[in-house]
Amino acid sequence: MSAEGEQSVKLVSSDNVEILTERKIAERSMLIKNMIEDLGAPGEEPIPIMNVSEAVLRKVLEWCTQHKNDPAPTQDDDADSRKKTTDIEEWDQKFMQVDQEMLFEIILAANYMDIKALLDVGCKTVANMIKGKSPEEIRKTFNIQNDFTPEEEEQIRRENEWAEDR
Amino acid sequence: MSRSRRLQRMSSDSSSSSSSTSPERDVDDDNDSFMLQPNDSQSSLGVDISSDTSITAAARMAYEERCRVSPVARLPAELLISIFARLGASSDLMSCMLVSKEWARNSVGLLWHRPAMNKWECIQSVVRSIRKADKFFAYQDLVKRLNMSTLASQVGDGCLMGMAECKRVERLTLTNCTKLTDTSLQPLVDGNRSLLALDITGLDQVTDQTMITVADHCLRLQGLNVTGCKKLTDASIQAVARSCRHVKRLKFNGCSQLTDTAILTVAAHSTHLLEIDLHALQNIESPSVTALLTSCPHLREVRLAHCTRINDRAFLDVPWIPESPIIFDSLRILDLTDCNELGDKGVERIIETCPRLRNLILAKCRHITDRAVLAITKLGKNLHYIHLGHCQRITDLSVEALAKACNRIRYIDLACCSNLTDTSVTKLAGLPKLKRIGLVKCAGITDRSIYALAMGEMKGGKRMHGASVLERVHLSYCTLLTLDGIHVLLNNCLKLTHLSLTGVQAFLRDDLLSFIREAPQEFNNHQRDVFCVFSGGGVSRLREYLNQEKAHALAGGDSDSVTPSMAEGDDDMGLDGDIDGDNTGDSDGSNTPVISLDVHGSHPAGGTPILHGPGQGSSSGVLFASQQHPGGSWQHQHYGQGHGQDGAGSSSTARLSQSAPSSMTMAFGPHMWAGTGSGTISPVSAGHLQHHPPFIPPLHQQMQQHNHGQQGGAQHVTGMMSAAILDDVEEGDEAFGEGSEILGD
Repeated sequence: MSAEGEQSVKLVSSDNVEILTERKIAERSMLIKNMIEDLGAPGEEPIPIMNVSEAVLRKVLEWCTQHKNDPAPTQDDDADSRKKTTDIEEWDQKFMQVDQEMLFEIILAANYMDIKALLDVGCKTVANMIKGKSPEEIRKTFNIQNDFTPEEEEQIRRENEWAEDR
Repeated sequence: MSRSRRLQRMSSDSSSSSSSTSPERDVDDDNDSFMLQPNDSQSSLGVDISSDTSITAAARMAYEERCRVSPVARLPAELLISIFARLGASSDLMSCMLVSKEWARNSVGLLWHRPAMNKWECIQSVVRSIRKADKFFAYQDLVKRLNMSTLASQVGDGCLMGMAECKRVERLTLTNCTKLTDTSLQPLVDGNRSLLALDITGLDQVTDQTMITVADHCLRLQGLNVTGCKKLTDASIQAVARSCRHVKRLKFNGCSQLTDTAILTVAAHSTHLLEIDLHALQNIESPSVTALLTSCPHLREVRLAHCTRINDRAFLDVPWIPESPIIFDSLRILDLTDCNELGDKGVERIIETCPRLRNLILAKCRHITDRAVLAITKLGKNLHYIHLGHCQRITDLSVEALAKACNRIRYIDLACCSNLTDTSVTKLAGLPKLKRIGLVKCAGITDRSIYALAMGEMKGGKRMHGASVLERVHLSYCTLLTLDGIHVLLNNCLKLTHLSLTGVQAFLRDDLLSFIREAPQEFNNHQRDVFCVFSGGGVSRLREYLNQEKAHALAGGDSDSVTPSMAEGDDDMGLDGDIDGDNTGDSDGSNTPVISLDVHGSHPAGGTPILHGPGQGSSSGVLFASQQHPGGSWQHQHYGQGHGQDGAGSSSTARLSQSAPSSMTMAFGPHMWAGTGSGTISPVSAGHLQHHPPFIPPLHQQMQQHNHGQQGGAQHVTGMMSAAILDDVEEGDEAFGEGSEILGD
């Protein structure tokens, strides 16, 4: 297993840049892990990561390197991802200190490459940016346009008033 | 980023937003998954582009512009939802709803998944929105969990009627909403095809009408709890069994009209059944049980408490082929409380057919004897929880064997097994995982048992399994016990959270009253007088008080306390010490065995047995030791030494202090002292000497940490089957259903 882990694999980003990395690191991505298993001969054939650009792919691999020795996710972790805790470990917090464009690219890449733990960190990071904010503050944070009419806004507020103080 | 990629995203975004407007979408819905897009969307994109380049280009530019301005727009609905799912507070979700239409669509399902039902205003507001004619979203279809048990008996039909339109409820919990009737319940389940779990515990006005509607519509039902629904009859339960073929958990407690007719139908149809509780169904007879066991191979938990008509035939009638017996491999929990027709033969067959039983409750199965208990020993390591309360015929013979064979027992109850003696308890005390032991009215046991429980299993003078894990000890009406014995227990078992000593004379002291928890309301005056249960903080305060009292006594009147214990020698002092029980005030505790600690502790430390261990107690140490290791040498050394030191007093103290380690943590481990069988007193007690004055607070702290860390740790709940964890307040009639343990460690 360790011999397998040290093998290197060649990934190709959406903008056609080849990136060489350790198999063990790349296999934090279930997408890549499954591909390697299907291809059978890792290391020889480059693996296309069609939806992820070089910059994002390198960032994702940085995370995978840091977490390459984490225990494999279990069934429980799936249930955990539904948990409402938004605690993030320190290294991951720093890792996620990027501009919003990169933040959402990382989330999309983690989703596409099927890296549950990274997706989890990404979602938690965004959730933390929402917590405790008013609708207007949220709009400002994410630069979202308010497409409600004042009447619609008032209607939603009224219909969901039970939720306001919880 | 490449353009083609953005296009894919755009297509995924548009498809997702269309699907997310549907009220049907929920969190698990991933038909708009970003991951699903690349393959098929690429080909379809090609078609799109060639068919109408200009429109696509315009849309693409608009999308790109939107993403540039607001990068969050890149996230498909699926991911937005999984971000929202991490917001704990509904006020945060509420804020998300007001951000934009897209955000509203993706957060409303989470917000309404389980609407707040804990206040009247909330319920009224929820109902108002649901019944509104032109509402922004179809809220009624988003409600998946409905739980009105917080307001329980305040909830009336009028209130629940308002929710009748919610036809996609998956979990409906109306525990103890006793005012509810068919009037509101029947329309709510009518037409609901999503219901998975229904809990109408205590709704004693509900009739077959509702249950037949459930049978007609709720075909996916998996869990049904109709505890106390006394109006239900065989007819509706049969209907449910016939149509709800996926049921896994059934709780019919106290549905007193049910008979074998209903249960036989359940057995015949519910092949997926995992748990069934037939508590106090007095009409149920053995054939029901035989049928359940034989036709529901996955059964994990069977509760038959107070099904008094069940007898050995229930188990003996299971087809039995000696060469290849049917084994009920899944069964983990079997509760036969008060099935008092049951005898040894039945128990023997149970053990043969259910080798992986983890919890076995045979309380009040009064006929069973040592023969049954010896059969139970075959469960070996699988057995974690055993209740033999009121099985008065059993003796030390089988209990010793049980302790030896089943060394993973965490919970044992032997209340009223009056034949048992210290021999049984000293063996049980060696169980490394023992968390809870019930010995109520085992009147023969003495402090010897208590010392054994305090010390756990010893080998070569050392405690074998690390610090004590004992949490709950029930000793009411064990009239021979003394205050000092319990004091040793308290100081060695820092995880103790429950200690009951009702009716133990030595504890009928006014000065202890403030540590005792309040007697249950239904108790009469006499019961209140003898009631003596310490729990939670009360245990720690008692420990602290006794430690202080001891220290105080030692500092003050040494002569009083030392002399009597010296005079009484080292054996069985606990037996006659306090039995007449009138020790009050400060003389108390001075003439009891552990006081001999004081002897050798003519130093101020004598009051804290934990630090001394054997060294402490010439008497307690030897008492215990002679039990465990007859002829063992270390105790005698200590014992002799204790006496030898007598009168040496301060000079020996000084000498000891020099060799004392400074670590306080060392001093806490009761196993530490035991190791040194040498001629000098153990370094631990010396360490204690040094630290004596500031000592008590750290002990207290440590103990609190322990308590804190494991509040409620011993009890887990599985599924709907153990909703009520009864605690035993007054253990003469122990609460037998003290929570079931979770299956699988």
